Amino acid sequence: MQAKLKIRRFNPETDKKPWWGEYTLENVHRTDTVLDLLHRIKWEQDGTLSLRRSCAHGVCGSDAMRINGANALACKTLVSRLGSGKGDVINIQVEPILGLSVEKDLIVDMEPFFDHYRSVMPYFINDQPVPADGRERLQSPEDRHRFDDTTKCILCAACTSSCPSFWADDRYVGPAAIVQAHRFIFDSRDEGMNERLEVMADTFGVWRCRTIFNCTNACPREIKVTEAIADVKKAITSGKV
Amino acid sequence: MAALTEKPTGKMTVRLVELDRSPERIGWLFMRLSGVAMLILAVGHMVIQHILNSSTDLTLQFVAVQWSSWGWKAYDIFLLWMAIPHGIRGLLTILKDYIHSPALGRIIGILLALFVIATVIWATIAIALFDPAMVP
Repeated sequence: MQAKLKIRRFNPETDKKPWWGEYTLENVHRTDTVLDLLHRIKWEQDGTLSLRRSCAHGVCGSDAMRINGANALACKTLVSRLGSGKGDVINIQVEPILGLSVEKDLIVDMEPFFDHYRSVMPYFINDQPVPADGRERLQSPEDRHRFDDTTKCILCAACTSSCPSFWADDRYVGPAAIVQAHRFIFDSRDEGMNERLEVMADTFGVWRCRTIFNCTNACPREIKVTEAIADVKKAITSGKV
Repeated sequence: MAALTEKPTGKMTVRLVELDRSPERIGWLFMRLSGVAMLILAVGHMVIQHILNSSTDLTLQFVAVQWSSWGWKAYDIFLLWMAIPHGIRGLLTILKDYIHSPALGRIIGILLALFVIATVIWATIAIALFDPAMVP
């Protein structure tokens, strides 16, 4: 199969505005990932193409990008998922994720994203002494289940950068930060829920979510992001966690 | 820890939270509750006006007959109280996506709030004081 890729390129040192680079690859297999194709372009055709990637297996969350108009991890997106390839040619469009400024080609500045992440205090807070046996703080399976889904986040920013509310105003903490807050708010062993819920109840907290569901569709870990945001809204309005 | 595949069915720990009452939280709750109320009131209004009665019969005389009953006056006043603030708050929410200056956002918020208060009071008085006997 032949693949024709259109990649959004931008080099701040030489370009005044972004442009589309067009590349053709032969002998592409349906089982190849988009990251495989980007590697081939970088290694065989144009070494100046810049992108982030690390594990290449959907764990590190480095290579979130906009593929054919929807956010996804390049390493988890198979060519077969992007269409059947009419006449044995498949067209693929790749852009950097939206809402964060582009540093070069497919690399964006993740710092504003991590600022929001840090704002929800994404760490365990409990000043009580550890159990007498010096081992773990025990929790029932029911209590563990409440935040099970949100432990899966890999901070790839696919959700936050697919959110129209975040595109409109980057002061909104965004779905990923809310998912991280959810993971600790609903942990019965954690004692920082009041502080986190104050951040969530702020003007730029959960109220900016319009339940558009882009985040849920974009999440490569299939976290029910919109549902997690609704859990936090419910906790704030009911006063119960 | 590996993801749990089956939902445990026992009791969960419920903890109480104390948070400051923010206008955002009250506004969000109002949008949900007024949305549910309008689902009944606005749909009911449409069914009565356009399905059970013909649209061509919607004259001043039709309204006079309907508003001769305090029940229907109360129905329409309640619908008005839900619809105007709901719509204007929705408009403000959209505007805030584009207005990033807090001062300008506050001014527009105050102007829209005044508009809501004036419209709701004015329309409530108009419906409440409507006298069907004045209709020829």
